[in-house]
Amino acid sequence: MSLYTYLLIAAIMFTVGAYGIITQRSGIKILMCIELMLNSANLNLVAFSSFNNNSTGQVFALFSIAIAAAEAAIGFAILVALFRVRDTINLDNINILRW
Amino acid sequence: MFGDYAALIVLLPVLAFVLTLFLGKKLYSGGALLPIAAIAGSFIISFGTFLEIYPDKTIQQSLSWFAGMNIGILIDPLAVVMLMMVSFVSLLIHIYAVGYMAHDPAKPRYFAETSLFTAAMLGVILSDNILQFFIAWELVGLCSYLLIGFWYHKPSAAAAAKKAFLVTRVGDVLFLAGIVLLYFNMSEVVSSRAFSLEPGSFILQFKSMFAAIPHIPPGQLTLITLLFFGGAVGKSGQFPLHGWLPDAMEGPTTVSALIHAATMVTAGVYLVARTFPMFVAAPNSLLVVAYIGGFTALFAATMGLVMNDIKRVLAYSTVSQLGYMMLGLGAAGMAIGAGAVGISMFHLISHAFFKALMFLCAGSVIHAVGTNDIREMGGLFGKMKITAITMIIAALALAGIGIPLVNFGIPFSIGTSGFFSKDAIIEGAFAYGEQTGDLIPYVFAILAALLTSIYIFRLWFMTFTGTPRSERHAHESPNVMTRPLIILAVFALFFGYTQSGFYGYVDKNFELMGVEMAVHEGEAVPPSIIIVFMPVIVGVLGFLISYYIYYQRKLDVSKFITSENPVYKLLINRYYEPKLASDIIGVKLTHNVVAQSGEFVDRKIIDGLIIDNIIGRTAFKLGEVMRRLQTGVVQNYAAVIILGIGLLVILLMLGGV
Amino acid sequence: MAGFISLMILIPLIGAIITFLTRTREQARAVAFLTSGISLVISLVLFMRFDSSSSQVQFQELYPWISSLGINLKFGLDGIGMPLVLLSTIVIPLTIIFAWGETKQANQFYGLILLELVGVLGVFTSLDFFVFYIFWEIVLIPMYFLISIWGGPRKDYAAIKFFIYTHVASLVMLLAIFSLFFNAWQLTGTPSFDMFTLLKNYQVIDSPLLKDAIFLALLFGFIVKMPAVPFHTWLPDAHVEAPTAGSVILAALLLKMGGYGLFRVILPLLPYSGSPGYLVTLMAIIGVVSILYGTFLALAQRDLKKMVAYSSISHMGYVTLGAAALIPLSVSGAMYQQFSHGLITCVLFMSCGVIQHGAGTRIIGDLGGIAKHMPKLAFLMLAGFLASLGLPGMSGFIAEFLILINSYFTLPTFVILALFGIVFTAGYHLWAMQRAVFGTYNEKLGHIHDIATYEMVSMAILVLLVIYFGLNPNPVLNMMTTNAKQLVEFVSLKGVIT
Repeated sequence: MSLYTYLLIAAIMFTVGAYGIITQRSGIKILMCIELMLNSANLNLVAFSSFNNNSTGQVFALFSIAIAAAEAAIGFAILVALFRVRDTINLDNINILRW
Repeated sequence: MFGDYAALIVLLPVLAFVLTLFLGKKLYSGGALLPIAAIAGSFIISFGTFLEIYPDKTIQQSLSWFAGMNIGILIDPLAVVMLMMVSFVSLLIHIYAVGYMAHDPAKPRYFAETSLFTAAMLGVILSDNILQFFIAWELVGLCSYLLIGFWYHKPSAAAAAKKAFLVTRVGDVLFLAGIVLLYFNMSEVVSSRAFSLEPGSFILQFKSMFAAIPHIPPGQLTLITLLFFGGAVGKSGQFPLHGWLPDAMEGPTTVSALIHAATMVTAGVYLVARTFPMFVAAPNSLLVVAYIGGFTALFAATMGLVMNDIKRVLAYSTVSQLGYMMLGLGAAGMAIGAGAVGISMFHLISHAFFKALMFLCAGSVIHAVGTNDIREMGGLFGKMKITAITMIIAALALAGIGIPLVNFGIPFSIGTSGFFSKDAIIEGAFAYGEQTGDLIPYVFAILAALLTSIYIFRLWFMTFTGTPRSERHAHESPNVMTRPLIILAVFALFFGYTQSGFYGYVDKNFELMGVEMAVHEGEAVPPSIIIVFMPVIVGVLGFLISYYIYYQRKLDVSKFITSENPVYKLLINRYYEPKLASDIIGVKLTHNVVAQSGEFVDRKIIDGLIIDNIIGRTAFKLGEVMRRLQTGVVQNYAAVIILGIGLLVILLMLGGV
Repeated sequence: MAGFISLMILIPLIGAIITFLTRTREQARAVAFLTSGISLVISLVLFMRFDSSSSQVQFQELYPWISSLGINLKFGLDGIGMPLVLLSTIVIPLTIIFAWGETKQANQFYGLILLELVGVLGVFTSLDFFVFYIFWEIVLIPMYFLISIWGGPRKDYAAIKFFIYTHVASLVMLLAIFSLFFNAWQLTGTPSFDMFTLLKNYQVIDSPLLKDAIFLALLFGFIVKMPAVPFHTWLPDAHVEAPTAGSVILAALLLKMGGYGLFRVILPLLPYSGSPGYLVTLMAIIGVVSILYGTFLALAQRDLKKMVAYSSISHMGYVTLGAAALIPLSVSGAMYQQFSHGLITCVLFMSCGVIQHGAGTRIIGDLGGIAKHMPKLAFLMLAGFLASLGLPGMSGFIAEFLILINSYFTLPTFVILALFGIVFTAGYHLWAMQRAVFGTYNEKLGHIHDIATYEMVSMAILVLLVIYFGLNPNPVLNMMTTNAKQLVEFVSLKGVIT
């Protein structure tokens, strides 16, 4: 398989994630979409690393995964907290950032 | 031997200041003995130095200080006579103060401050450069401020202290401007190589200044000397900066005697005398000095006529006499050149003796009767013999009473010190008038002499003769106060006989510094007998007028002393000078108009209009509009982000990277 | 001597962290005093070892940081920085002594004061523009908190005003720094934030317009901090609301950063700027207007502390004037004015603090005759006021004298105008003394107590220093003059007689 295959898959993953973020209403789904986008970036990193024989990319991917895990944990924690307060995780109804 | 320790003349009183300030409470009489001992030391060193350098030596010591400036000592005839006078009078007044201030709880502060004052005043005299002169000059001003406000809990004292400092400050700023200008010209002269500093000398030293006179443009020289004279006007209470001196009488009487009669106020005269070669080279400035001096002499004497506060009368008398000294420098300077310094300095020193004596007598009277108002005194002669007699001696000296026997072929004249010293000035003014036809300064001087005699004998008659007008039982002051009176009275009587020796010594002053100036070119044509007798005649006339009105009470003046009489009103309100100075210039113009409009600009225009309204409001309005973009819906944000990234990518592609 | 400067900065930083962690105020103030004291000792050692005949940077230290952008931790001292470092390390321990009785959140209070020391020392010693800027900004933050936590009734307004003003000025300055950086990068090919490299390459900029723009941006950054009219209105508000210790540090040290910038950055650029003639005149106008405007505004104030704040503006005007005159001795006089004003203004603000604490008000009209119950304070305050109005024998006179006498060579009109201010300067000081301290005691004040011993100690030390440096300016003045001469070598050496 050529590098382009990986890049194409990563691009598709990214686009799906982006589409999901814009269209979805549920906080969980949005978080999952964010994960998808992150992993597409990871895929790129690993792919480039593998094709360039340079391990830096892989290391970075590992970093990224670790941070993504932390971020996901925080994200879910926020959602749980929100759900307790508002009884919903529909982000359309949660607009406390509004002016 | 004494000359090597000349620095101690200043340092001893400084030491006494520090010790008295911190340890005074624990010592006898508020630590008065420390300054007395220190100033006695200064006097001994001064006198010893005088004996060493007499008749034709000078002492110069100089150390580099900062930025091309130096500190140094210059003891020449001019300085040494002043040193002896200041340390001597200061010593006597300190001794007197032990009695006068005996009941004041703040004695340590008093003695510390007077000690510092003496040090600063001696520092003025000793300076060998104009910067150090200015510094010491400002320090005497500080001490004057502190001592006028000695009873700071009295609002009038606090106000008078402030006024004294500020009015003299006006003069000081002129003086400083003169120094700036002088420094500029000196530097120009040095850098143009027209003139080079002697090795080891500094740019603002008097000797360098005098040596550079021929190279400084005359216009600049006139400006510099006028600015210097501005400083002297402030310090010596000349018109129009005279108003602070009568107010300064809020301080203890000893302070008035020391600072506002004998020493500090003469610093202005000393400044003109010190820089006299520059004045001689700028005759226009001398003319200004003569006119201001002569006018002040008359102007102040008119106010002295109507004052009822014993110290105020003496204060106006001081202003008037300082005017004489300036007149002597200016008019006689134009007529006879360098000899004017001797004439003026001689009057300065004899005035110091009799005016200090007058103030101390006044202090003795105030101490006894507890009031300053001469209308409440009277009949004190029997109760206070020593004070009354010494006071009349001082009054005779001030009025210049004497008999000029010299003009009848007898080798000496008979007279008080003021007779010798003041007449010389009046004759100098006449000599100037004769040479130029401008008799105005002379007329000022003669009229002032008449008024002087009237007001001083009025003071004496009202205080010591007639019936007592106060219930308080007055008694003579203790010995510690009367002894200094007697010593000063001796000087007031006999100091005049040193006249020719004094002139001979002081006239050499600038010669010793290597300055070429016209000195007495032979004796001027002896003036006619009427001119010689004129000062004495007006002096006696004044005495008779006072005797007639205030002793015999033949003429009732009370009908003139009403507020209906415009002349009296003008005089008793001191020509409205206090109102003008503090009310109109101080409060109304400076504070209410200038400062408050500045405040308005600050608050309403800079802060209010520009910052709050223009910048602040705009930012708020902008924020108001922009925050509508924050929908609070996460998806919107994400969409915008993605859109932005898409745009960036397109831009990059179009850029053809 | 290597490492002394970084040690001097690091120790208060560590001290600040420890102070934040302490639990009692006794511990907090002990740690704060000790660490700032160590800094003082180090700066004294540096001061003693300093060679004042050399205009070179001494005790230089270099630690690489972000090498790819040429950013290094480069520290060093010359005659411009050394006196101000000394001033900072003198003022901070004395401020801590003065604030010995602070009870509100004492550990944070002392910690923030130490952070201020770290900031100003960094500013005065950094020779790398990037690091300089970081320290410049660090200084703001503790001061913001000092005002907004320990401040008076309008503390939030004052703190935010202070922050916005100075921060906007810093950002404008940052733009100029970047512009200099990219210019030097283009010329030399290697990126470097080294201060001297950047300043040296300024003269090769082609466009006079860009030159002037950079110059004005830097000037703006500095004169807002000084502050100069018309960018001064943050200062009175900040002072009125700030706690005494905050005011002391603000006036004594933070304002000096602006003046330091003039000497360190502005003067080396001035002769090479696009239109030096106009810029000199501009600076002179700013200086003289500040002198006179500050004086008259001080005269108009009813609040003692506000009056002192305006007097600071007036005194800092002399710095601008002296710098603009470009005569070696006027420039060193301006530097000396910074040093001297740093000491004097402490006494003034401390007096205001003591009065506020003792009498409960600072409004001049509500006071009156307090010398009766506060004789020691009255004495120290009078000494401070006299020093501030330029009494000879105290340090302020030396500075103002040098500035006036030497600036006359190049800016005669401005000097004459400045001279006018002197009378009024004396006027507002003495008028305030007369109304607040002397006269009859205002019985409405009730019983007020005199100055506390620790307050008196720190004020007395300051007064003694003011007198010492007024009688013997040489230790500090000589090093300033050496550098000032080097700064203005290019102008004709009129007025230099040594």
